Amino acid sequence: MHQSPHDWAKGSTTHTANTDDVVMEKLLALGEYSGEIGSDGFYDARAIVRLTQCLVCSLPLQHPRTLPCGNSICLRCLPQFYPRQNISYPGLPSRQDGFQCPFPECQKEHSVADCTLDVTLSKVMEIFERELGSCQSEEMPVEVKEILDPELSDFESDGGECGERKWTVDGGRLVAIYTLIKRGELYYDTDVTCVSLASDHRDSAVLDREVLQTLKAKITSEVECQVCYGLFLDPITTYCGHTFCRKCLERVLDHSRDCPACRRRLHLPNVLPAQSSNKRLTELLVSLCSEALAHRATVVAIEEMAGSDDDDLTTPLFVCTASYPGMPTPLHIFEPRYRLMIRRVCENGTRRFGMLLPNRSGQLQGELGAAPFMQYGTMLQIEGANMYPDGRSDIWTVGVSRFRVKRWGIRDDYIVSDIERVEDIPILEEEALEALETSLRIQMSSQDLLPPWTRLSTQSLLQIGHNFVDQMQAISAPWLHENNILAFGQRPDDPAMFPYWLASVLPVAENEKYRLLVCTSVRERLKMVVGWIKKIESHRWFCSATCAIV
Amino acid sequence: MSLPKRIIKETERLVAEPVPGINAVPHDDNLRYFDVTIHGPAQSPYEGGIFRLELFLPEDYPMTPPKIRFLTKIYHPNIDKLGRICLDVLKGNWSPALQIRTILLSIQALLGAPNPDDPLANDVAQRWKEDEPAAIQTARDWTRTHAMV
Repeated sequence: MHQSPHDWAKGSTTHTANTDDVVMEKLLALGEYSGEIGSDGFYDARAIVRLTQCLVCSLPLQHPRTLPCGNSICLRCLPQFYPRQNISYPGLPSRQDGFQCPFPECQKEHSVADCTLDVTLSKVMEIFERELGSCQSEEMPVEVKEILDPELSDFESDGGECGERKWTVDGGRLVAIYTLIKRGELYYDTDVTCVSLASDHRDSAVLDREVLQTLKAKITSEVECQVCYGLFLDPITTYCGHTFCRKCLERVLDHSRDCPACRRRLHLPNVLPAQSSNKRLTELLVSLCSEALAHRATVVAIEEMAGSDDDDLTTPLFVCTASYPGMPTPLHIFEPRYRLMIRRVCENGTRRFGMLLPNRSGQLQGELGAAPFMQYGTMLQIEGANMYPDGRSDIWTVGVSRFRVKRWGIRDDYIVSDIERVEDIPILEEEALEALETSLRIQMSSQDLLPPWTRLSTQSLLQIGHNFVDQMQAISAPWLHENNILAFGQRPDDPAMFPYWLASVLPVAENEKYRLLVCTSVRERLKMVVGWIKKIESHRWFCSATCAIV
Repeated sequence: MSLPKRIIKETERLVAEPVPGINAVPHDDNLRYFDVTIHGPAQSPYEGGIFRLELFLPEDYPMTPPKIRFLTKIYHPNIDKLGRICLDVLKGNWSPALQIRTILLSIQALLGAPNPDDPLANDVAQRWKEDEPAAIQTARDWTRTHAMV
């Protein structure tokens, strides 16, 4: 709502010169922050002191409340309470009173219970009062003159009477303007010009810069998140009045529904995109801690893109089940670490993670040694998600491609890795393999150990698979129930895909599923599948239509 | 993997503003693993003893609590033979706003105020309830034998 009216400070370029351009650029690229006022107490005094002013009464915020819409207001400026109508749930006595939000962009009804003292903002206001409010020096007088709105002054200039108001106050610009605000002389939107009446103008500027330095240092130590111990990054103030970084609070909610500071139950959704940031605190941070904030935002951005200092470990891994390219894998996400992982891949836009089987028998996994997971897996793409209010979620994913883990590490309790895509062998090799195997009967003796069907053509192998499925469908095998077909689709005709489909619908042992995943030849995969079929069929001599697990 | 800023800051602050009677030093090769000593509180059966503990910050710390265990043998109804500690803030009542410092202070307070009604070591707790003076004497003896070297 506030249109940055400090045009009088234009032309002064000094106040942005000390910001590291590179960092700032990255920060702006994040789209989070775009202001840079308040680097210089001499030029930006009005804008800095405005940070303390209540938008309603224009006095320094007293017992500040931060409303659910993110705006802050003095306790005494809260509008008249009234009993809220037609609300029976949760029906707590404390939630029965409400008021209409006085901020034009909100105007919604807030519950009084959601507007407790903003602990951080209150402390920051105390610092302002201590540093600017009690300065009794009788030096550095400043003449503060109101700038009238040009339109308004044109309109009233006919009367000639309505002149600019002006005051002379001691203590330098910051102190002078703060004093006037405490006296109720300046509205939130009122702009002023300041002229130092001190004998030495330079001294006045030095004083203002010193005061600002102290102010900044004290405030910086107060605006620290109790979870990450860093400067608040996108602060959210809970209804119990405690402030945390948005991402920290999201992570807290993965583990507990209680406020870390006071243990009161937080009635917040697990993911907080709709939750308003604390606007005043954000303004304060951008204005008074811009460099530290820029640095912090950059560090966080880099950390989130990659696995902290280990830049190569960019692919998060989910150790759970066997998935295949082209096949869906629905997942229920409930563990805190995987909630975080899924949230991160959704936020960074990749919407992808690797799915692996656990290494249950502790087999060595190539160069990885005894990893807790099998080395080969499938990259999954998130197609849709359904969030539950308590933070759990159901996600629908589809296999994209297979991969092999080259290196791995742990980040925030889930596994991250450097992977290599696994492709099938080229068609030429595939053809050569088929040609070799189907012609073996001519060259070799009939005493070879492999069953004769291994010498069938690739298409014939597929046909065996298709016939098997058709037969099973005819006797209504439970694994071909319509729900399975609905989830995994009809039997594919593509020889490359058919084994993946069959392994998804047929109850097959985990190690067989894994063998299929590692296999890079279509023909070999079909042979594996026909192997299962032959085994099932041999069982079925004894137990008719039941489903055998290979 | 790099250490989160929070752990670095907490460690710095532990060194800069040490808590009287509590000492926590991270290992050089694993900054998540701390050697801890706690002095037995005055007017308790543990007075005069210096108790060694190990503290480990798990991967998702501070979302989950640190793992702490007594290494020095101690006779206490809320601490078992393996040195495991029964303390609410180390389990369900953990909050990310707590820290190594506050947790160690809680453990020190637990030494000063054993709670036999919420026991971890059942035999010790029972003795504490049946014959408190004798239990306290045993705790004192154990302190002398194991925690004063």
